[in-house]
Amino acid sequence: MARIIVNATHKGGEGKTTNSIMLAEYAALVRGLKTLIIDMDPQANLSGRYIKMEYDPAYKGGKIPALHPDYEPEIDEDWDGRSSIANIFYGEEVIPYPTSINNLELLPAHSIKLQDAEAVTKNEVVEKVHLQLKRFLELPDVQKNYEIIIIDTPPSKGPLTIAAIKAATHVVIPAQMEQFSIEGIFGMLQLWKQETYSRSKDNPITLVGILPNQVRDINLHKSFREDLSKRKEIAGYLMPHTIKKRAIYTEILVENANPKCIFELSKKDVARNEYERACDYIMERVLHHG
Amino acid sequence: MAKRKVFQISDTLADGLEETLSSAKNYSGELRVDVIPLKKIETDPENPRDLALTIDDIYNKVAPSDPDYVRKLQEINSLESIANSIKDQGIINPIVVYKHGDKYRLVAGERRTLASILAGKMDIQAKILDSKPNELKISLLQWIENIERSDLSLYERLKNLEKIARAYALSKNIGVEQITITELSQLIGCVKSHALNYRAVLNADAQIKALIFANKIKNLEKAALLSGIQSTVAREHVISACLAGATLKKLKTMVEQSKSTPSLRLPRPSLKQGRQASSVNLGSTKNRDVAKIIIDSVLKNQALAHLRDQFQQVDWSDYKTVSETFNLLLRRLEELHV
Repeated sequence: MARIIVNATHKGGEGKTTNSIMLAEYAALVRGLKTLIIDMDPQANLSGRYIKMEYDPAYKGGKIPALHPDYEPEIDEDWDGRSSIANIFYGEEVIPYPTSINNLELLPAHSIKLQDAEAVTKNEVVEKVHLQLKRFLELPDVQKNYEIIIIDTPPSKGPLTIAAIKAATHVVIPAQMEQFSIEGIFGMLQLWKQETYSRSKDNPITLVGILPNQVRDINLHKSFREDLSKRKEIAGYLMPHTIKKRAIYTEILVENANPKCIFELSKKDVARNEYERACDYIMERVLHHG
Repeated sequence: MAKRKVFQISDTLADGLEETLSSAKNYSGELRVDVIPLKKIETDPENPRDLALTIDDIYNKVAPSDPDYVRKLQEINSLESIANSIKDQGIINPIVVYKHGDKYRLVAGERRTLASILAGKMDIQAKILDSKPNELKISLLQWIENIERSDLSLYERLKNLEKIARAYALSKNIGVEQITITELSQLIGCVKSHALNYRAVLNADAQIKALIFANKIKNLEKAALLSGIQSTVAREHVISACLAGATLKKLKTMVEQSKSTPSLRLPRPSLKQGRQASSVNLGSTKNRDVAKIIIDSVLKNQALAHLRDQFQQVDWSDYKTVSETFNLLLRRLEELHV
């Protein structure tokens, strides 16, 4: 059974997208697992790392995925050549894009289609959106082709985030050790708790933990982390690794960065080691503990 | 030196995080609460039902040709008031179901389910179990659900309790009568004094159980008291008083008194060993008046007039005194007829 990890917190800027990228590339490159990364965020930042995103002529500022490399206009008469994860909400076929990283495939975002799905309010439609990603990921073809599936979510608690949670087997909450961020953790935990109640024993949703992210050597970050670890119930869910705020983590996201991936840095590199340890912790939990 | 700044996560926030994590950890998988469509709920054909009314009856109306027509209409009537409160406020406690194919089968909450359909609801809140729970678990769940109902009769409680006891005894490979008070109190979650009463009723004989099932004995304490009386005569006596509406206090007094009365023993068949009978059994009676009549009649005999003084101040209402008095008369007569 494919393990499905969702990086979620409804507060923006916590490092969901960066963390999704790191985990997916770690799984594919370091572990050699067949990996699929899914971009559920209408901002489509993650998609842009792996494929060219075009500005949507129909929608200012919106992005659509470039033509699929397998697209042949002469043969594919009933396909416009583009595919995104949003297709699942419109009854359209989904075709993952290959990436420059071995073992890693991408289902990109489609800004306007995802936003429309996020904006549904009618009850029966909302329910369909909630379950659609789960239905898609349960398809035998998907299960057969991937060992690890990573989902990046938009910074909200809307239908797209809920759909990701409903589909997930594991949840990671990246968070800064700051006031608003910790309030954000609380909101996300509520969502996770709600979901655990609707799961059966053989299909649990496991909270891998809270990953302290963008940590700086300041009193505030240290105190908050300590406060959390002093609470017995919380301590078990606070990952023993922290990710420091480092320029390299944003530098590698730049187009034409060299190297492009943190796991291509020297094995002695401090940043690589830091993220690799965190990814290793998460992946061990995901693969071997529930 | 400048003062070092101190930061702290507020207790409210930290408490909230902690509570959320611990409740999710403790209940996930055990307690799936969800809203499910009423159309997908069915009763468990293997579980005995109290109601004649079925889920179909509510959807399709009871046909006048139905053999249970009158009973079913009465049952619908009795559900109206729950249905009305469900219309206003929904159900307070979720029902309990388990998954069976694409349907859900009821473990507890049949009345709430029927009333919700009656109220025109489409869905209902339910605790969903993954599979059919075993007999003990089902009966315990029903017990917990039922115990909150104020209108639950002793008959219904006893029926429920018998199921729990049977299932528990089976799981422990013991007889129902071997279940201890401690075990019972832990099983159904009540204090030992209460469990003591329940156990007495549970182990009551067929006669008392029949009276409970006929709804003639409705009080647990009374039923327990009656089941504990050993003497057949005293028991008959106390049971009839109970059926006549005697209070618990009165019944207790009667039981106390009966303990001091020699009880009538059923003749036990025994092998005669050829020993000659050497005494006459003058029998026994629970009617104190009969004893008085015999004693008075004997003393009317002029030849015994001198004995009358010894039989003046007798408390004829006390069994023990009357018996002693009769014995005294026998001894005096023996002295006269050596």
